[in-house]
Amino acid sequence: MLLSAAAIAEDVTITYMASQDWVQDAEMELGEKFTELTGIKVDYQIIPSDQYTNLLMAKLNSGECADIFGSQAGQFDIVTQLNVEKNAVDLSGEAWAATVDPLAFAETSVDGRLYGQPVQDVSAVWAVAYNKKVFERLNLSVPTNYEEFKAVCEAIKADGMIPIYEAVSDGWHHQLWFCEMGVAIEHAEPGTAEKLNNNEMGFADSATAKLLVEQIKEMVDLGYWGDNYMANAYADAARAIAEGECAMTVANQGFPTEINAAYPDFPAEDIGFFVMPLCDNQVLNMNPVGPTRFIYSGSPNAEAAKKYLAFIAEPENLQYLIENVPKFNTLPFTGVQDVYSEEISSFYAAYPEHGTVYQTSVKYVNPQWMEIGSELVAVILGDQTPEQMLQNIDRNRADQAAAAQDPAWN
Amino acid sequence: MNKNRMYPTYFIFGALLLYVVLYVLPSVMGLGYSFTDWSEYSREISYVGLDNFKTVFSSNYNYLRILMNTLRFTVVTTIAKNVIGLLLAVLLTKKVRLLNFHRAVMYMPCVLSALIVGMIFKSIMDPKVGLLNTALRAVGLDGLAQKWIYDSKLAFPSVMAVDIWKGMGYIMTILIAGIMSISPVYYEAAAIDGGNAWQCFRHITLPLLVPTLTVTTVLNVIYGLKVFDTVYALTNGGPGFATEVLYTGVYKEFSKGRYAVGTTLSTIMTLVMLVVGYFMIKHMVKGGGDQA
Repeated sequence: MLLSAAAIAEDVTITYMASQDWVQDAEMELGEKFTELTGIKVDYQIIPSDQYTNLLMAKLNSGECADIFGSQAGQFDIVTQLNVEKNAVDLSGEAWAATVDPLAFAETSVDGRLYGQPVQDVSAVWAVAYNKKVFERLNLSVPTNYEEFKAVCEAIKADGMIPIYEAVSDGWHHQLWFCEMGVAIEHAEPGTAEKLNNNEMGFADSATAKLLVEQIKEMVDLGYWGDNYMANAYADAARAIAEGECAMTVANQGFPTEINAAYPDFPAEDIGFFVMPLCDNQVLNMNPVGPTRFIYSGSPNAEAAKKYLAFIAEPENLQYLIENVPKFNTLPFTGVQDVYSEEISSFYAAYPEHGTVYQTSVKYVNPQWMEIGSELVAVILGDQTPEQMLQNIDRNRADQAAAAQDPAWN
Repeated sequence: MNKNRMYPTYFIFGALLLYVVLYVLPSVMGLGYSFTDWSEYSREISYVGLDNFKTVFSSNYNYLRILMNTLRFTVVTTIAKNVIGLLLAVLLTKKVRLLNFHRAVMYMPCVLSALIVGMIFKSIMDPKVGLLNTALRAVGLDGLAQKWIYDSKLAFPSVMAVDIWKGMGYIMTILIAGIMSISPVYYEAAAIDGGNAWQCFRHITLPLLVPTLTVTTVLNVIYGLKVFDTVYALTNGGPGFATEVLYTGVYKEFSKGRYAVGTTLSTIMTLVMLVVGYFMIKHMVKGGGDQA
């Protein structure tokens, strides 16, 4: 162990600010162990997810922040939104930096300098998790296009269940149906991501993007999200599926273990996955980016914070996280052993075509993640049209690009 | 006027200095920054004329709706808090059993943190398991069970209702003080002349309460224009943008690093507050003069 030999008693408390669900119980257990070894205490500041981005950005922009802050990474966003070269500490010299998976490294670094440490399993994709027992009972098969998906939802609805558990109140989940399906836009209209990045087109110019929003609204209008989708919280998804209230939800591949951990009578193998079939999508939506730890450049405790990150990145501690956080199947570091089940391996194998989601491959999308959620809600509630939503996203991207003096927009 | 009752002018300097440094100076600087492109993304600040004001008043953006929402919130909550507060104040200056208990119960919501109230009401208004809909369903009023803060049409009235509930006790307390300062001689004279309760209220209580009502109106208007915490905790501006008000908008602009637009919004509201405040204070001073 790197730190045990150098155990020292420091009277320092480092603060670590993160969105709800980003700091796992297993990490806090490791945090206690870290305190025992070093004397450095860790104060975890967990913020409700619907308020997190605004709060983090307000803090960074006003020149005060926690010693460690969590944020989504992404090669574009860490420059244009987080301004990590100003706001975060360069971690390239840390011993663990060389163990970060190259894909994750690319999304957390600027000009080869590493600024962040990945928090979660980024191999997992957001897909439709379904109750296999319900599908078997109703004689349903995995849909491969939107019409088949609608037929599946109708059959489930006719059986008295809510087809899809969707959680809008958290503010971050429901827009997965749009942003993750950038792969469908790219498949139908190749080169769109590049054109969007070069300001040669907007989302409003994409017929597939418009169709995508229309299909999301149609799902809601047809009652596939039930009546309570606006008030639902994602933390309740496991209960809704385990108790048979809903048959499907958008989740990543840690969900089966998560549901089994909370409801031992519900076997993890009873959950299967298929990609979101909006716009007839059959492309696996990959995202090498996830929540990431950054050390605030203005932190008076930067050295203590570096020790915490070094401790977390020790191979046995990464393995501890993989084995004790139900939703982790692996972590993006070399030297760790994954715990993929056969079901999950076969799900990945079922979709040979892979694409990168737009919140990572297209500039100025991820920074307006929560706003895209509000835009989508406005469409769902009939307050605006899909065209208006796409125009607003384009306008917000243009505003941010202009402020960032992006040459493609100026 | 008795000059001996006047304090020396320099007594004002301390307060004036704090006011200038903490309020006037930032407001003037804000006005200046609203003519620039100040943002997180660029170290250079350039003069852009009225561009930010054009953005705020452009129909392509949501800001006009935000401003209208703020004004609507201010008007509705000011009227409701004054009317309900007055009603409660009149009731709780009568001979009622457990009078102080009733006053304390009505006043209590205003000492609670707006964030706590927001979280409690978020739970109460949950469409599926919330106390409100559960109670309505329990008494057979299923038709009245709504989605409250999750319905774009009901969200804003719901937020305003929570704010009125929270703020009416405070207004009631001020009005009780106002009513108790009215000399009982007027009511005795009215009783001798055969005046009924409504006539006493209409011709004695209400006219003599006007200065107090002016104060409560000013307080409510300023609070309404600056509202943030209740909306933030209950809906965070949603669903969609249905309950977005000025300061949730400013907060979001600042969090996006668009300081100039945020400052412009703030400047517009400062100007609105100055105009409203000027006329109200003018009215108050006039009222005070009439009384003297």
